[in-house]
Amino acid sequence: MGSNFTLLLDGFQTVFTPTNLMFGLLGTFLGTLVGVLPGIGPALAIGLLLPITLTVNPTSALIMFAAIFYGAMYGGSTTSILLNTPGESGSVITALEGNKMAKAGRAGAALATAAIGSFVAGTIATILLAFGAPLLAEFALTIQPAGYLALIILAFATVGTLLGTSRIRGLIALSMGLVIGLIGADLQSGALRLTFGNLNAIDGIETVTVIVAIFALGETLYLASRHTLVKASVLQVDGKAWMTRQDFKRSWKPWLRGTAIGFPLGVVPAGGSEVPTFLSYGVEKALSKNKDEFGKGAIEGVAGPEAANNANAAGVLVPMLALGLPTSATAAVVLVAFQSFNIQPGPMLFQTNPEIVWSLIASLFVGNFLLLVLNLPLIRFWVMLLKIPTHYLYAGITTFALLGAYALNNSTFDLQVALAVGVIGFLFRRFGVPITPLIIGAILGPLSELYFKRSLQISQGDWGILIDGTFPKVIYGILILVIIGPLVWNFKKSFAIKK
Amino acid sequence: MDIPQDNSIVSPQTFPYMVAAFASLVGLGLIVDVLRGKNGVPDGTEPGDPYSPINWKTMGIVAAAIGMHVILLETAGYVLAATVCFWGVAYAFGSRRILKDFLISAVFASIVYLAFSRGLNINLPAGIFDGILDNG
Repeated sequence: MGSNFTLLLDGFQTVFTPTNLMFGLLGTFLGTLVGVLPGIGPALAIGLLLPITLTVNPTSALIMFAAIFYGAMYGGSTTSILLNTPGESGSVITALEGNKMAKAGRAGAALATAAIGSFVAGTIATILLAFGAPLLAEFALTIQPAGYLALIILAFATVGTLLGTSRIRGLIALSMGLVIGLIGADLQSGALRLTFGNLNAIDGIETVTVIVAIFALGETLYLASRHTLVKASVLQVDGKAWMTRQDFKRSWKPWLRGTAIGFPLGVVPAGGSEVPTFLSYGVEKALSKNKDEFGKGAIEGVAGPEAANNANAAGVLVPMLALGLPTSATAAVVLVAFQSFNIQPGPMLFQTNPEIVWSLIASLFVGNFLLLVLNLPLIRFWVMLLKIPTHYLYAGITTFALLGAYALNNSTFDLQVALAVGVIGFLFRRFGVPITPLIIGAILGPLSELYFKRSLQISQGDWGILIDGTFPKVIYGILILVIIGPLVWNFKKSFAIKK
Repeated sequence: MDIPQDNSIVSPQTFPYMVAAFASLVGLGLIVDVLRGKNGVPDGTEPGDPYSPINWKTMGIVAAAIGMHVILLETAGYVLAATVCFWGVAYAFGSRRILKDFLISAVFASIVYLAFSRGLNINLPAGIFDGILDNG
């Protein structure tokens, strides 16, 4: 552990060079800037900003990403509070209470408790990440390919069935992602699959293109398809974005409780940021002395869920870094960002590129701090961004998304893919199909095939190896619980209603 | 599909067949779900009625704007492609100040082009503006 601490200090040393610090500051600024724009969640924000880092050196780029990551998260909560358009499921609760607070003239306090709560939760969660991820990575080195396959299947099941309102639609999204992941040359044999003779498809479908197109183009097409556009009004921030002593007193416990709920649910893939934020809201409502304020703008209802959301996002980075398994759309983009620099997250990363891992963790701390310093004073600037007319906003998002899709490979094929994926994204939005399982399927599909093949190669074709050993058995046991648990729960509920 | 000769134990077809089986299964599940009357509910994170009918005209304009970008990019260059795309989406979203929008689109496209090709050394097709925006 002592050596990890030294490595972390080295990481800080890397971050604290003027150039890298500048990239951190730029990342924080750009992350918030893009995150504040309505309709852009953290995953899309990172995806859109990816081209900017293409020509930057890997360490600086990752430092920038860490800053963008937290910046985009924070930007999203500002939008929820002032505009009541959450844009992503993790901010729905923030919009619920925060917007009510803003309407009552307490926007400043809501923004402050969101910012400071995010900082507190982010810092604690990053400390836990710094200690937990190396331990998990060390354990992960003992996992056999069959164990990895089991983990991926478990991630598929949780992401596919726990997100959104309909389990079958989550699985539909997952299967479409798996199919997208199959396109191109098979890694081992070189056999061309699903390319239909198109030479451009041999290298497969670019994941960033899929992510950017499905969020940005899908959302734009969806909003354009709506008959009437309802204008949401931006609420004013009266006075400074700060909170009173009383607000502090009511906020600090929800911050800590939110962190305690959000972080573990991020490490264990429990279906995105929806569950922890709702849980945190429920807990705060149950514990509060001011229950009647809930639904009318209770500060606890902003402080807890915001902390939970941020801690959750940092928790998701643990399996992403230590196992190479992303379980949220945001983690998936961060993984893709790593891969664009030929860095493969996973247990080996801590051994082969410790300096990169630890500078990333150090920059998570720094980015988080910069946010706090930068955002509250700049609040008036962010509010101005919210006033960009909708038609220019979506024109800009569309154009920038297409630029991102093109700039990766300088190929118009990627643009054609983007348009097709955009149409899929529109259909998903229209018919309530969650997007994240598709992204996870597209990224983890090829990886699961790799582990599947490796297992069978070790066993010389004996499929029994897939459930051989304690670890896979435990994971498949959990899988059965994840699938059967909700069914039993629903059955009991419907039974109780009939009674 | 052509399967190259190789001595691996698992054929490159095995995993795709598994994915196909899974996709067919959940596809069937979805058909059953829809036939039982469970049509999808749009995630209601935006204000307004989620069940309002699809406005094909505005959506078509957005799709056309994206399509024009794809077609124009390598023939006419980035600036023109992005200008048309930006302008088209703004029009679809209800803006009717055609000249002002055109100016804003052109300025936006030019700034993005210069920022990326100059500032970040990411080459975007210059197209018909070759030699005009690149000088200096």
